Amino acid sequence: MPAQKILTYPHPLLKKLARPVIRLDDEISGLVEDLLDTMREGPGSVGVAAPQIGVLLRVCVVDVSGSKFGRDNNHGLLVLVNPEVIEREGSAIMREGCMSVPDYTGEVERATRIVLRYQDADGSEKQIDATGFEAVAIQHELDHLDGVLFLDRIVSLKTGLFRRKNYR
Amino acid sequence: MSECRKDNLVHFAVTIISKDRPGIVADTTEVLYRLGCNIEDSSCTMLGGDFAIILIVSHEKPFAKGRLVEEYKGLQERTGLSTYVRALSETEVCPVKEEGELCLVSVYGSDQPGIVYRVTRALADRKVNITDLNTRLIGTKEEPVYVLMLEAILPAGMAVEDVSELLENLRKELNVEITARSITPVSL
Repeated sequence: MPAQKILTYPHPLLKKLARPVIRLDDEISGLVEDLLDTMREGPGSVGVAAPQIGVLLRVCVVDVSGSKFGRDNNHGLLVLVNPEVIEREGSAIMREGCMSVPDYTGEVERATRIVLRYQDADGSEKQIDATGFEAVAIQHELDHLDGVLFLDRIVSLKTGLFRRKNYR
Repeated sequence: MSECRKDNLVHFAVTIISKDRPGIVADTTEVLYRLGCNIEDSSCTMLGGDFAIILIVSHEKPFAKGRLVEEYKGLQERTGLSTYVRALSETEVCPVKEEGELCLVSVYGSDQPGIVYRVTRALADRKVNITDLNTRLIGTKEEPVYVLMLEAILPAGMAVEDVSELLENLRKELNVEITARSITPVSL
């Protein structure tokens, strides 16, 4: 399948809770291929979640290895099925944008390190320790599985010195 | 918006400044709501003891600027806030989209005349386009400290390091701290 169209807000699926994948079958393999193609198509995209292409299942792909923020610290291409953050620590603010909310960016606070449990494309149980930009990207994509957009997490209206100093 | 088709609309810039109190935004926007104006873009913040509102509003044609002016005159008489309304030309309405790297420059040091002017002139001369800027006077009466924060889009080919280099002389001359860093949003 070719790259899919990225749904943009106010498409209702973007605010819905995605269902867990029960069985990894051909349908899921096809979905993963679509997600990968869509990610590769998006300019500078480092991740796509299934709800963004209209599929309400807990599947997303992340790859920050080509990004200048993540190139030195990543697990390469990640196919995440039923992903779950089981530990998080630290916090940092980054200005995020999202293909599903064009023409807008905002400062979002994310954990700087997460431990993630998930199934890969073959259904094997995996656990990784992700930090830095990769951790941010994973948290952003996982939010899509819960119907949460970065707009729901913006922490700052402007770059006020006083509001920022806590995070340095 | 990816496209800018607003032929059927007339646009105004509305500026309102008032001594700060709860309810200024509500009072101001109630007028717009009553007149059927849409707020297309806005920025509102506290400045000193005042609250400042800048709005770009639109209304379907035909709509006379006088109606806005008249309504705000009434509000001004009742509440003491000061307002200014200006009609926008069509070329002002669509946002300019620039693609360069986004950069945050922070400047701080002992208060002295010319910090904002000197820094922004140096940036303007290199075609750096400021998108957001705020300043604040902090510190003590004896030792006032001036803080300037600005965000700017760099022209094609310019990197954040070039901005640091560009402002290096000024840093020495004014004896202030100047740092530039990339805040280009991450696309997810």
